[in-house]
Amino acid sequence: MFDVALRSAGGTIALVTSFDEKYPPENIIDGSLDTFWPTTGMFPQEFIITFSTLMSIGNIKILCSNVKELCIEKSTKTEPVEFEPLVEKEIENIDGQMQREEIEASFMIASFCSNIIHVIIISCSKPCRMHIPVTSASHLRFLIKSAFDHFVSIHNVSVNGTAVH
Amino acid sequence: MVVLRAKVIVTGDPAVGKSALTQAFHSDGTHFPKNYSMELYLYDSAGKEIFADIVQQHWTQPDMILVAYDMTNEQSFNACNKWFERCQAQKPNQSIPGALVAIKTDLKQRRVISTKQGREYANSKGLEYFECSPKDHENVEAPFYYLAKEFHNLYNVKIEQMKTLT
Ligand SMILES: Nc1nc2c(ncn2[C@@H]2O[C@H](COP(=O)(O)OP(=O)(O)OP(=O)(O)O)[C@@H](O)[C@H]2O)c(=O)[nH]1
Ligand SMILES: [Mg+2]
Repeated sequence: MFDVALRSAGGTIALVTSFDEKYPPENIIDGSLDTFWPTTGMFPQEFIITFSTLMSIGNIKILCSNVKELCIEKSTKTEPVEFEPLVEKEIENIDGQMQREEIEASFMIASFCSNIIHVIIISCSKPCRMHIPVTSASHLRFLIKSAFDHFVSIHNVSVNGTAVH
Repeated sequence: MVVLRAKVIVTGDPAVGKSALTQAFHSDGTHFPKNYSMELYLYDSAGKEIFADIVQQHWTQPDMILVAYDMTNEQSFNACNKWFERCQAQKPNQSIPGALVAIKTDLKQRRVISTKQGREYANSKGLEYFECSPKDHENVEAPFYYLAKEFHNLYNVKIEQMKTLT
């Protein structure tokens, strides 16, 4: 299992609803927690990550700020169409900021259990975790329905997976 | 290049001129610097209380507010706080940038709310104060340019905060 969302692993951003040339959406999948993609106003907002091929998904980790309601959907088609819901989460607003070490530690968690996907969202200070049954996808759609501020930032999305043969 | 989008709630008592103001505002974009563009989504709300429930369904996740009153009508000025608080209630933990706009400056003889009164109320709520007359097409752009500029500033501030998050 490795991060199949990474640009260097063939991941691409198929669609975004906000664009600032200084902070391109590819920042989400460049493997760095420092670069980010900001939304530029109003909600809902979304982005779609397309994998190089159909992937069996291990776990999904998202590092972002100010996201309140997030929906993740998947598609197994060649084109990014016919999405089905995967998880939906409303994140609590907790003041305070996470330390870099904690963020990295949360990102380190590996999927040991082969029939479960861990979804970890770090938006405010506390990481929120969910478990979903294992699945495959060639595209993941992240729908940001609402936020705690005028804008949100998505710093990194990592998706552990392996190609389905 | 970046395109910023903001949801602006235009509110105030009935017949103060909200619709006249939003319709009079037409930007050709020349007032904006080249490095960004701004789309203001203006939600021109009905002022009649019987529409209150339906109006507020459209008020979720507002970015900015424009509260308007008729400067010849004291009641409409007194109602500004009610409209402001209702909109602010949509975002309890966050202050919403906005403008207070006194409308119908062409009716000078009938004026009952002074510039000073308007400005004082605006200051107390962190709003920027404007006077205009959609009828004479006087100063109708200024409040919207202010909101656009304010939103751009806000975006820049938030971007700096995002940079420090990790
Ligand atoms: N003298 C004068 N009359 C104006 C001006 N702007 C609007 N009016 C008049 O005021 C009346 C109400 O204007 P609207 O723009 O419909 O008012 P509104 O605030 O949208 O009212 P609601 O939608 O009912 O809440 C109309 O008869 C307009 O012609 C102005 O600048 N000067
Ligand atoms: Mg109207």
